[in-house]
Amino acid sequence: MLCDRCQIRDAKILYTEIINGVKTEQHLCEECATDYTSFQMEKPLLNSDMTLNSLLSNLLGAYQTSSAKRPGEGRQTIVCERCKTSYDDFLQRGRFGCAQCYRSFHKELGKTLRGIQGAEAHTGKRPKGFVSATDGLLKDLTKEEKLTLELQKAIENEEYEEAARLRDLIKELKKEETNNA
Amino acid sequence: MLKWYEQIVPDGDVVISSRVRLARNLEDYRFSPLLDESEAVRLVDEVKKLTPSLAQQDKRKYYACNIKSLNDIDKIAMVERHIVSPLLIEKDQTTGLILSEDETVSIMINEEDHVRLQAIIGGLNLEKAYEVASRIDDIAYEKLKFAYDEKYGYMTSCPTNTGTGMRASCMVFLPALSSARMIQRLIEEVGRYGVTIRGIYGEGTKSLGNIYQISNQKTLGNSEREIIENLRRIVEQVMKQERRRREYMLSLNSEEIEDQVYRAYGILKYARQITSDDAMNFLSQLKFGADCGLIKFDREFNVHRMMMGVQPGSLQWTLGKNVGSNSRDQSRAEYIRKELPTII
Repeated sequence: MLCDRCQIRDAKILYTEIINGVKTEQHLCEECATDYTSFQMEKPLLNSDMTLNSLLSNLLGAYQTSSAKRPGEGRQTIVCERCKTSYDDFLQRGRFGCAQCYRSFHKELGKTLRGIQGAEAHTGKRPKGFVSATDGLLKDLTKEEKLTLELQKAIENEEYEEAARLRDLIKELKKEETNNA
Repeated sequence: MLKWYEQIVPDGDVVISSRVRLARNLEDYRFSPLLDESEAVRLVDEVKKLTPSLAQQDKRKYYACNIKSLNDIDKIAMVERHIVSPLLIEKDQTTGLILSEDETVSIMINEEDHVRLQAIIGGLNLEKAYEVASRIDDIAYEKLKFAYDEKYGYMTSCPTNTGTGMRASCMVFLPALSSARMIQRLIEEVGRYGVTIRGIYGEGTKSLGNIYQISNQKTLGNSEREIIENLRRIVEQVMKQERRRREYMLSLNSEEIEDQVYRAYGILKYARQITSDDAMNFLSQLKFGADCGLIKFDREFNVHRMMMGVQPGSLQWTLGKNVGSNSRDQSRAEYIRKELPTII
C-alpha cells in the first residue's frame, strides 16, 4: 500500500488522529509520518544506532530537564577544572572525563545517580588502607571523645547494653584522669 | 592445571560459569575515552607492571601483553573464551591484557575503564569468583592509585558502573525455557529485581546454543556481598524453573526428545562439514540430553568446552592457522569428531 500523503513510498504506519471526537485514519510512510505527525523518527528506529550510550545520554538529559533547567540555558555550566569536561558534555556523552569530574559535578550528581542507580552513596568495599576525610578527623580525637561518639551511636541504634558498657568505660576514664591530675 | 571450562562442576547442567568483573580507574589519568595515544601507552605499561606481584602473591602464572601485538585469530579466540570484551580488541588505541595461565583471572587495560579485572569460575559459585576478584583488586591497589571516593565509591567512566564497579554474572544454559518461549517473560520478571538477561557475549549479542548471561544492573547503594547474594538467589530460581521445565518436557514427549538428542549426536559424529551455528545447536541438544541422562558417554566431558572450541576464532587458534570459511566448516567437523566421546 502506498502512503496516503506522498503516494510514492510504501505506507508503514497507521496514524489515527482524534480531534473533537472526529476520528481520521491515515496510512503513512516513515518520512511523511515524521514530517506531518508527532512521530519522532529521524532515522528508522530498528536499524538506527540506538546504542546504550545514546540511550543513556537521553536518560541523563531527561533527569536534567525534569529539574527545570535546560542544558546551557540561563545557567553557568559547570566545567571540571582538571579535564575540562563540562556538565553538559557529561550529559551528552554519558561518560565522565576523569575522577575529578565526580567532585566537580557533585552538586548535580546526586539526582542523576539516584535516577540511574536508585542510590547516591556507595556502601560496599573500601580499599585497604584508604583514609577518608572523616577517618582523618577521627584520628585526632581523644579516647574519651571516641567513646562518646560510640555511645551516641549505640543509643541511636537502641543497643542499650552496649551503651551502658560504654558509659561505664567513660566514667572510669574520667575517674582516672582526675586521679592523675 | 585445568582451565575453568575443562572441569566438571556442580549445577553445571544449568549454570556454566560464574564471573565477577570489577571496574577500576587510576586517579592520575583522564578516563579512557579521553586519553590520547601517548597516555594510553603509559597507562598500559604502568598497569602491566603488576604482573610480577600478581604471580608472586596469587601463586599462579601470569602473562601480560599488548593487544596490538596479537594476531586477529588470537584476539577473536579470546573474545570467544570470555577473556576479553569485543571493545578491547576493536579499539584503535593501545590496550593491554594480563592473564592467568588457567584463564581464571584476566585484567583488561584501557577498555572503557583503565582497569577491568575479572575472575571466572565454573558452575554456580559467585562468592568464590568475587573472593578471587577482590583479592586481585587488593594486590593491584598496593601498586596502583585507584580513584576511590568516600561517597561515590570506585569512580568509573560510565555512571552505570559507579560505586562497587562490579558486574557479577552467571552464564546459564536454558534449553527448556527457551523452547517454551519463556525467556522474554523471564527477562521482564528478573528485571524487577535489578537483574538483566542477555545473549552469550554480553550487550547486544544474540543468544547462541540457548546460553544466556544473567547479571546485576545496579552497582551503587548495595555492597558487593548484597549484590552477589541477590543475584545468586535469582540464578537459583531460574535454575529451578529450568529443571522443572525439563522434567515437564521429558514427561510429555521423552521419546521425541531422545530421538533428537541421538540425531544430534549422529550429525556431530559423522558430518564432514558443519557451520558454527549448526554445531552450537546440536551441541546444545547433546548437552541437554547428557544432563537429563538420556545419553551416556564412555568418559566425562564438558560440552561447553566444545561449544567454545567450535567458534571460528578458537577453531583457527587450535589449527594454528587462518582458514577460509569452507575449509573451516570441514576442520570444525573434524575437530568435533575427534573430541566427541563414544556412546555407551
